[in-house]
Amino acid sequence: MAKTVDQYFEDVRETRVWRSVFRSGTGSSTLKRALAIQQNVFLHLFSTKVRTRMLSFSATWYLGTLTLGTFLLLVATGIPLMLYYHPSVPQAYADTKDLQFVVSSGLFLRNLHRWSAHAMVFLVFAHMFKVFYRGAYRPPREFNWVIGVVLLLITLLLSYTGYLLPWDQLAYWAITVGSNIASAVPLVGDKIHFLLLGGHAVNANALLRFYVLHCMILPLTAMFFVAIHFWRIRKDGGLYSHSSEPGVVRARTAGEMPGTITASRNIGEQRGTPSPAGVKEGK
Amino acid sequence: MADTKDFVAGFDSNAKRSPRRIVFVTRRTSAQVKAETEEQIQTFPEVLFRAAVAIMALATALIWIALIFNAPLEGLADPSHTPNPAKAPWYFLGLQEMLHYFPPVVAGVLVPGLVVMALVVIPYFKVNIEADGFFLKDRKRRVRVFYLVAVLLSIFLGWFHVIVALVPTLIMAGLMLVASQSPPKSASAFRRYLATRPLSYWVMTWFLFELIVLTAVGTFFRGPGWSWIWPWQGA
Amino acid sequence: MPEETKNKDDVSRRQFFAKLGLGSLSIAAAGSVAFAYQYLEPNVLYEPSPVVNAGKPDRYPLDSVTLDVTTGIYIIHSQEGFFSLSAVCTHLGCLTAWKPEQGIIACPCHGSKFFAFQQDGHKPGDKIEGPAPKPLPWKRIWINDDGDLLVDRSTDVPPLARDSFVRV
Repeated sequence: MAKTVDQYFEDVRETRVWRSVFRSGTGSSTLKRALAIQQNVFLHLFSTKVRTRMLSFSATWYLGTLTLGTFLLLVATGIPLMLYYHPSVPQAYADTKDLQFVVSSGLFLRNLHRWSAHAMVFLVFAHMFKVFYRGAYRPPREFNWVIGVVLLLITLLLSYTGYLLPWDQLAYWAITVGSNIASAVPLVGDKIHFLLLGGHAVNANALLRFYVLHCMILPLTAMFFVAIHFWRIRKDGGLYSHSSEPGVVRARTAGEMPGTITASRNIGEQRGTPSPAGVKEGK
Repeated sequence: MADTKDFVAGFDSNAKRSPRRIVFVTRRTSAQVKAETEEQIQTFPEVLFRAAVAIMALATALIWIALIFNAPLEGLADPSHTPNPAKAPWYFLGLQEMLHYFPPVVAGVLVPGLVVMALVVIPYFKVNIEADGFFLKDRKRRVRVFYLVAVLLSIFLGWFHVIVALVPTLIMAGLMLVASQSPPKSASAFRRYLATRPLSYWVMTWFLFELIVLTAVGTFFRGPGWSWIWPWQGA
Repeated sequence: MPEETKNKDDVSRRQFFAKLGLGSLSIAAAGSVAFAYQYLEPNVLYEPSPVVNAGKPDRYPLDSVTLDVTTGIYIIHSQEGFFSLSAVCTHLGCLTAWKPEQGIIACPCHGSKFFAFQQDGHKPGDKIEGPAPKPLPWKRIWINDDGDLLVDRSTDVPPLARDSFVRV
């Protein structure tokens, strides 16, 4: 019985229509597995092969992946929430209550969105500290670290702009206090305050600006920088793994630091390990 | 050949100074191109499946939490009535705690601005890349600098009665003191560990410690009027 | 270890777990689709009620056709009693108008014309001419306890049926 079902699926996969969409096909050969990455527009941000050492859980605790996971959860819950939310005063508050009490699964979506947001802020800090403590910011990865700091700021801003949207007492006063801090910037503080809120106080304009920032501008910016962040990881030779990186080499005496390079074949774009055979640093 | 001091053969972002994939040929030996032998695995399925499992585990945990705990929602925003205390979201509570002691220009603009700038420039300082134990080189001078900075910082914090920031500072200074007195061949594994920590480690750990303490204080120990309360007294 | 006899129907451990995994994922997916659909259908509408209060019957003299533009219905008082037609043209949704000189209902958009009274074997609401595909529907009309005429725009009733009229 099951065999014919499987056979049916196989037949579908042989059709022209299917083959025109999924060109590489499934399979466990190295070629097929490499093609699955390389032929996919989203996945080919990754290289087809990575060093085994990069899989180690204890190295990274997968914090970067988990941060991305919370981001995806937030987008997946945030977009449905947008369908019932009118960013106007005081409708926003009524809509938040509607989501909690009237809309089917509204309470669940709102809760999931809120807790994922807190989790993301926590995870992005944890990721930063983990990267720092294992030294993965060292050359050639300096700029990726800077991009990471930018992503940290974007995450905090996303959380901050989202905080206002329920338009309850918690939201209103937290943002009032926060935007007043912005006006403490010397020289341009008041101007920043005025532009941020679209006015002198937290009112309808502020809500709309924060809504556009939260739902459109900041997520797009975040995705843009996340793409660069991932691309950089690949171009820097994959995730940093201490035992396989020579670090910066002082070209004083050969053999003092295990930093000689070998020419390496470009297999899956990984970097060479130290190899002393017949190749020395030049004088 | 270029001046050896300037020539960096290794991983460097400056492509002009350190070209990738080069071979150095010394006298009377031929260049032996040794192919990379490090073990590799396929991205799909190894990496992607692990990532998928990690994300699914995270999603499961968050879904359970979302099913059990409700997101807070207070009354409609009322510009004429400020709740007491008016607290920022938890990740800004450290900042809000500092606002209690310092004016907004300092606590709200200067300190966060300096923190961000300090984070950004970390990988561009040689001392952070070399990562040697702080007190293992140039010991006498560094110990003096450490004493100076620790004392100045403690006086500064004490002057403004920022006890919550002073306590972690003193604890970290104490640990650094132990590190400075620990030889790298010390019997205790803990002292060996401390002795080999670089400066970047000390600064970052101090920052992390302060972050945790200030945020915890802002969350649990501050009540109406930003007065000090004990967590079990409730807010 | 004795040789395992391989039966054609035997499923290996790998296959079993694969089926289990895919099966539970499918159930989860199906459940998510169901919940997502329920989420997308609003439970509360921010629209006015379909029930219209048309006031007391004596506001409408015999053989009169009264159009209420805000609610889009005609209240017609004919020999058989009171009935209500939808004023929304069945062609593309324009608001029709009552033409007393011609004694018909006409749509300004594309020229559809409808009967307002029984004539030549045609029922009120039937099309005289024009691109409209269907006659103007009859809407449920009744009298409430206060003696007011009420019309439910969301409910169609059969034309000329006994209960489609209100007899006072």
